[in-house]
Amino acid sequence: MPMKTNIEEIILHVARVMIDELKLEDITPEGFDPDIDLVDEIGIDSMDLATVALVLRDHYAIRIEEDDYPKLTNVRLIAEYIEQKLSEKSVAAAN
Amino acid sequence: MMSRISGNQTGKETNSFRKEWKFSEILAERGVRERWEKVRKYFFLRESTYDMSNRCNIRCEGCYYYEGDKQFAAENKNPDSWRRLMQAEKARGITYVVLAGAEPSLAPDLCRICFKEFPLGSIATNGLKAIPADINFKIHISVWGNDDTSARVRSAKNMLIRQIENYRGDPRAVFVYTFTSNNIDQVHEVAAILAEHGCKLTFNVFSAPVGYRGDLRHTPETLGETRKAMMDLLTAYPGNVLFSPYNAVAHTHRKGLHDLYGCSYPRRNASTDIGLGRSFRQYRTDLNWDRAAACCVPDTDCDDCRHYAAGSAVVTARMFRHAGDPQTFKSWLDYVDTYLSVWVMDYHKGANLSDRMAAPPENEIF
Repeated sequence: MPMKTNIEEIILHVARVMIDELKLEDITPEGFDPDIDLVDEIGIDSMDLATVALVLRDHYAIRIEEDDYPKLTNVRLIAEYIEQKLSEKSVAAAN
Repeated sequence: MMSRISGNQTGKETNSFRKEWKFSEILAERGVRERWEKVRKYFFLRESTYDMSNRCNIRCEGCYYYEGDKQFAAENKNPDSWRRLMQAEKARGITYVVLAGAEPSLAPDLCRICFKEFPLGSIATNGLKAIPADINFKIHISVWGNDDTSARVRSAKNMLIRQIENYRGDPRAVFVYTFTSNNIDQVHEVAAILAEHGCKLTFNVFSAPVGYRGDLRHTPETLGETRKAMMDLLTAYPGNVLFSPYNAVAHTHRKGLHDLYGCSYPRRNASTDIGLGRSFRQYRTDLNWDRAAACCVPDTDCDDCRHYAAGSAVVTARMFRHAGDPQTFKSWLDYVDTYLSVWVMDYHKGANLSDRMAAPPENEIF
């Protein structure tokens, strides 16, 4: 079995947090389409996103800016945002 | 790390080392976790508002409805049109309706149609004409001072007792006392009467309509007096007053709600991004709406907006920024618990988690 890339791991984790926190039924993290629009197709609202963002903030120890919410419209974009923040954090730590 | 203290009683901002809290740590306290689980069940609420009539049986100084051009919209009294509108609203994801201006009690059949399509909603009324019991929405009855003041600014005699006669013992009813700059002391008399009759009471703060030149507008001094009266009554009538210390802070701050939290209603949030800016509409009596004016209380001067209905959406939407420390998050939970008890049938307010005032995030306490 090929090793997952880091972004794939993050995507799976974000999907798991979505499912757990928002009590989404009949879906697994593996079956969660990372490109599906969270607002238009799943009906997630700003409060839902805030809840997920707080849990992800804890897990990855990164800041998720409230102003960035509008960009986070699917699981892949959230994962890429997290990856970017983790990258910035490791650069800052190295300096 | 160096960061600002945002939750002290004095409002002084000081630099000090401060723990950076994780959300999971904030939720680790049992009472906080329980309250969080209690309120989050209602995160599905998505509101819009509807003017039910362009008539009113009284005319009050400073009335929001008779500002701007919404008062000139023709009344659509066709039941089928209203039914179709409600069904369309449901289809686009609205889960909560607010029936307002000018006086919904004058259009009970239309209110009933709305209730049949939506189990959750509320009606803003002056309380002088009873709304039929089968319309099981929360009913917000406006009170603008004692009866002498009501007679003067609303041209209605014996207003409070007539309102109480219509709604005594009615679980739908919440009396909403609007603090203006010149009725602050009268709230004690009004609250005592309401408590004596077992009525529930919450507070609003007069927010001037655009261009308002009257003397009801607040000053920093009257906002301070209003805050004190709110806190005194919260202590005096804990079983009757639906409020929290953080409600008092949010609605009597020198800054209005928009400056404190960033208003998310379409009128101030032109984007169609996730949240209220995307979903909220404010329908006039002709069943049209205007994105540029859509707001829970259109024609309010946004810089002076401290309206309780606005806060119910604007403050609650800012959960993320209140989740920085336990005290601020408890205050936010108290606010949400208050809001739900005022707006949702069969939701019962718990004891406030915090009995002291917290500063809004990134702001001083006053």
